[in-house]
Parts: sequence; structure tokens; C-alpha cells
Amino acid sequence: MERPVLWIHAEALGPANPALQAHPGRPALFVFEPGLLAGDAGPISLQRIVFLYECLLELPVTIRQGDGAEEVLAFAARHRADGVVTSAWVDPQLGEIAAGVAAALPLQVLEPEPFVVLPQPVDLRRFSRYWKLAGPRLRPDRAGTDTFS
Amino acid sequence: MTAPAPLPDPTAPDQPSAAGLAGVPLGWPADSGDLPRRFPGREALVQELAARFPEASGGASPIRGGSKPALAALEALDPVRYAASRNHLDGAVSGLSPYIRHGVVSLAQVRDLVQQRMTAGPEPVSEKLLQELAWRDYWQRLWLRLGDGLWENLEPLKTGHPEAAYAPGLPGDIDEGRTGLACIDAFARELVERGWLHNHARMWLAAYVVHWRRVRWQAGARWFLRHLLDGDPASNNLSWQWVASSFSAKPYVFNRANLERFGAGRHCPGCPAAAACPFEASYEALQAQLFPTPQGEAN
Repeated sequence: MERPVLWIHAEALGPANPALQAHPGRPALFVFEPGLLAGDAGPISLQRIVFLYECLLELPVTIRQGDGAEEVLAFAARHRADGVVTSAWVDPQLGEIAAGVAAALPLQVLEPEPFVVLPQPVDLRRFSRYWKLAGPRLRPDRAGTDTFS
Repeated sequence: MTAPAPLPDPTAPDQPSAAGLAGVPLGWPADSGDLPRRFPGREALVQELAARFPEASGGASPIRGGSKPALAALEALDPVRYAASRNHLDGAVSGLSPYIRHGVVSLAQVRDLVQQRMTAGPEPVSEKLLQELAWRDYWQRLWLRLGDGLWENLEPLKTGHPEAAYAPGLPGDIDEGRTGLACIDAFARELVERGWLHNHARMWLAAYVVHWRRVRWQAGARWFLRHLLDGDPASNNLSWQWVASSFSAKPYVFNRANLERFGAGRHCPGCPAAAACPFEASYEALQAQLFPTPQGEAN
């Protein structure tokens, strides 16, 4: 990918965004989708939108309103891009937008630095089970041990 | 829920209001449908967004977005004070949750700083703050695994009430802050006006909604998600499920003594319902009153 545009989403609104780091200066876009962030909850409050907007003003990013995938693809076309670069997401709604983008253009997904790397599969039935694995890897004096793998 | 905090004050003016509010310049031409990146001030920004998002309720939170307030909160992190006081409404919580939720600072970045401060002195330091960050990571992993399954009970309720006993919608007096209970109404107002609540206040409010008013946790979770600056379905819904007992061994309840101990003493004096406080009882009495199934120690 030589001329990508960057898709910035609501889980990575900081200067450490891996797409911004990897492609400084490339055109970048954030889209306010109707219903985004709300999921089943209905429209989010204005205070949440203002907060997001203040984060966005600090980033070199074009801000638009509309359908996520359509806006990303139209933005890519305006900038004659040969692909889209973004950062990994957790929210399945973002996954749907990503799938819409990837159906039309190459999409590269960059992973942020993980909080802790755990051996798979991780038992998530209770936090205590997770912490049994994560704690020894996070404590500053013993981080990185493989005792529990 | 990732912990939050009053230090430093993220409401302090940190934007060049005199010079207006301008985004960083873009290195490419604007298009006709782009949203504006320059405003005379914050008030103008809020007015613009209110017009563009007519379905969004409320005004602006005093908590500002952006990396400057996030880095100030990061700088103020104190694992020792956090561990000692985090359960108190006036405790030294971090205030980082909205910034972490939206990636303004990453969990790895906060982890590095906490680890560094844990080893800075000669004394062993509590790992509570590190563990609180791990809760956030844990919730996110569960979201990846469960997807929209976060909106369903992960386990059966342990309250003894059938699901049908819980009302599907949030009663109006709760979200309008007019239950007549000074604590509950104050928490509801803070949620709607500030978009942020201390974790303990979230637990009290959730327990009131689910157990005292017998409302489905999903209704409360939707209410929180609309307003919380740090709202995401993982931390939010799973914490509601923990209170409700569909993701814990027993329902979470509190009593007045607990609220007075950790509530900074600011709610009960002058409360119109103080003489008939629904939280004024022992845990045993509350459990007998609220649940048909006998419960163990719930707090």
C-alpha cells in the first residue's frame, strides 16, 4: 500500500494511534455514525459527543457524519488511495464498518501494544482466574514469567 | 470499571479560549461535507454539535477531551494513595477512564507508568491500581469473546426472583433525579451533567435500580451508556451484571452505613427521606427484604 488513507475510530483517539504513527501526514478520517457507541442504548448524550470532538480536534483528522464504510470509501476515492489503514478494534460495530471497507479496498489493521500477553486459551469465567495468569506477568518485579503457561 | 479521579482537575481551562478553539491543521484540502475544526470557543463548539446531533440530549461535561487533560491525570497517578482511598467518593482515583476508553492514552502506557511508580521507592507498593487496569483488559477480552452477548444474562440471577419480575424500562423518577433519596438523585444528576461517576456511586446506583426498584439491569446499563464519557458495553454491562448477580455468585447490595462511610458524608444530612431511608438496615435484614432466596454476605 503506497497511498493509503487512515481510518481513525473511537477506540484510538490519541497521538499513539498506530495508524497515525505508521503513516504521519497521510489523510485521516473519523466518522460519526448514527448510533455509533450507543449499541443497544440509543443515541449518546451531547456531553459524550463534545468529549470525542475535543479529542478529535487534537488529531490531524477530517471529521464527518454518516455511514462509516461509505464515508471511508468516499474519502479514499477523493484522495486516490490504494488502501485503508486502521487500528484494531473491540466493538463489533467497528468490525462491521471494517468489513464494509475491506469488501472494496485493501484494509490493513495495526495492533496497538498489548496490555499483557497471555497463553491461550485464557479462562475468563471470573476475573480471579484471569488475574492468576495476568498478575505475575504484570507485577513489575516478575513481569514476563511463563510459570503458568 | 476502570477507576476515575478528581486530580488534577480536568475541568480547568486548558484550551486557548481567547484565541478560539482550533483543531490542528490538516495537510490536505477540506471537502464540502467535512465538519468544522475551528470555533470561536467551547460554547460555540457545543452549540454547533447540538445542532448537528439533535437527538443527543444534555450539554457539555466539565471534563474535557484531548490528550492534555489525559496526560495531567496520568502525571498525578499515585498507586499508594489510590490503594488507600479509592473506595471513597473523595478518594485519589485516577480520572483516566474516559481517556483510556477512547484510546487517548493506551492501557499499556498507563501500565508502564504505574509499574515505574510501584518500584520507585524502597517500600512494597499495593498492586491495586495495576489490578484496576487489568479489570479493563479483562472486560475487553470478554467483549471480544461475547460480542453482543454482553446484553444477555451470562448466568441465571441468584436473587430468587424470576426474570419477569424485573421491569423492562427505567422509571422516570430515577433518570430525572427525583426519587426523593438525596444520594440516588445526586448520583443521577452527576451522571447526566458530568458524564462520570465514581465507581462506588455506580455500584450503589446500579444496586438501587436493580434490587430496590426491581428493574432489568439492561435498562440501567443503557442509561449509563448514553451518558458516561467512559461508557463501553463491556465494562458497563458486565459491572451491571455483577451487581445484578448474573455475573457473580450473589447480588450486590449496600446499606446506609456503607454509603455514609464511603460517601464523604455529603448525602444523608438534609435528605428528605432520611427518617425513612430504604438503605437503613443490616445486610441480613436487607437481604431478607429484597430477596426470597437466602443470600450469603453480600458486601
